[in-house]
Amino acid sequence: MNNKRNFAPIFFVGPHIILFIVFILIPSIYGIYASFTNWNLISDPVWVGLDNYKTILTDADSTFYAQFFNGLVNTLLFVVFTVPLMIIIPLMIAVALEHKEVKFTSLFQTLLYVPGLISISAAALIWSLIFNKQLGVVNNLFGSEHVWAATQPYAWLTIIVITVWAGIGGNMIIYRAGINGVSKDLYESAEIDGAGPVRKFFSITLPSIKFPLIYTMVMTTAGAFNVFAQPLMMTSGGPKQGTTVLMMYIRDLAFSHGESIAGIASAMAVLLGLVILVISAIQYYVMSRNAA
Amino acid sequence: MLKKIKLSKYLSYLFLIVVSAIWVIPVLFGIVTSFRSQTEVVNEGFRLLPVNWIVENYVAILENTSSAPILQWLWNSVFIATLHTLLVVVVISITGYGYSRMKFKGRDFLFFTLLGISFFPNVVNLIPSYKIIDILGWVNTPWAMIVPGLAGMGNIFLVRQFMKGIPMELDESARVDGASDFTIYSKIILPLIRPVLIVCALFSFTGSWNDFLWPVIVYTDVDKMPVTAGLLLLQDIYGNYRMIGQLMGSAILAIIPTLLLFFFAQKYFVSAINLNSGIKG
Repeated sequence: MNNKRNFAPIFFVGPHIILFIVFILIPSIYGIYASFTNWNLISDPVWVGLDNYKTILTDADSTFYAQFFNGLVNTLLFVVFTVPLMIIIPLMIAVALEHKEVKFTSLFQTLLYVPGLISISAAALIWSLIFNKQLGVVNNLFGSEHVWAATQPYAWLTIIVITVWAGIGGNMIIYRAGINGVSKDLYESAEIDGAGPVRKFFSITLPSIKFPLIYTMVMTTAGAFNVFAQPLMMTSGGPKQGTTVLMMYIRDLAFSHGESIAGIASAMAVLLGLVILVISAIQYYVMSRNAA
Repeated sequence: MLKKIKLSKYLSYLFLIVVSAIWVIPVLFGIVTSFRSQTEVVNEGFRLLPVNWIVENYVAILENTSSAPILQWLWNSVFIATLHTLLVVVVISITGYGYSRMKFKGRDFLFFTLLGISFFPNVVNLIPSYKIIDILGWVNTPWAMIVPGLAGMGNIFLVRQFMKGIPMELDESARVDGASDFTIYSKIILPLIRPVLIVCALFSFTGSWNDFLWPVIVYTDVDKMPVTAGLLLLQDIYGNYRMIGQLMGSAILAIIPTLLLFFFAQKYFVSAINLNSGIKG
């Protein structure tokens, strides 16, 4: 009986621990190790110390330096363009849906949530056609002369539109639940004091949903740093690599048809990972301090 | 006072209707265009309804089994997402049981250590993960997409939280009656945690179905890839919008399964998102 007690937990948590070690722990450690090596994914990595990082961060003549900073800037642009929209738009929708006299809320919610279930590659095929110069909706309606995917700032606009379109559903539902949880008494007493809808929103609704706001802000930002599919499918990173994001360079360097440059790609991945960690930590710190 | 409420009500409706229309029209546009002929699209441009409804695009899509075998891709996606989801349910329920209802030394320390490590940005383990899949011989096989995701901690965290709400007295009285841990797990706990397992299953299925970066990396064989990776090839195969109807039809076929799932299980999706964010919905 006692023996059985001692070994039983191994059968319950052991299988997952093996999966965790093989598919998360080892690859994470190896990813950091590989960033200090010269590696082509086939033969053994050769230790080169900080060389990859020096090349990427300081060697202005190197293509890797140019790629890294171009990719990082484009990734940051994507984050700055999309994250505020993916917070503000679903928040406005949630406020409208939680208006006490608005009906058909589940119909609206379904219509707005469904695009999030569409795989990004299918969505990109449809949106690319919408933005297509000769055949699409946009040029038909607005008479625009540009090839959107190949002209700035339209190339960014196509990426932002598809991202926001596909990305607001989850946040919308989180905000709805948050607003729904706010005590009705608060609003009523505010009304008695003569507060208008705008005032109520800023002094009651926003402070009451600070936890969902922090959560969605951190998660949406971290997710946005991993952007890959939208620029790949909408603009192929163009024009002139103007929308090529860091994940696209990392994938190309490690997995493109020529010789793999996985060491440099790993160093870029570690740097991107650090940026994500630092920004998440700052966001969490600043927001929870201001909220307290 | 009354006027104010009216105004904000109408503004809310106006906003919701405009946004919903913007959100839905692209999907309708894709569906409608998939039933139009190429000449009609080119000559007539954008229309809300086709001049002539045709199904030739879909016939052509289904007949192309060499360069764009979409039925094969859909089958691959169904197989991958279904098996992945079933295994997720097994792994997270057993592991969640271990971390919440069994007593062993260092249990919570172990759990939170693994949870902490799992917060580390995924991008760092991407390249070595490919190498591991390669060593296992899983490149271009379904296992490349089925197994690695089982290692995640998020769903186990949810199951563990949920199980903590179930009174321990249930286990103890069963144990007095001579029940083993496996009996308690399968006969008592498993039926009780059904809601959270359904939620995790739905998200695992749609997550696996819509995954893009990983399948683009691990599949090079056209016959083995899931439909999301396949669609990436279509832009080239159907020639930069020389076969628009087929392009749209393929996109529509690829999104039907997850949409069906959503319409049958909508309430679970909504509760799932709130569960994921740690808010009681």
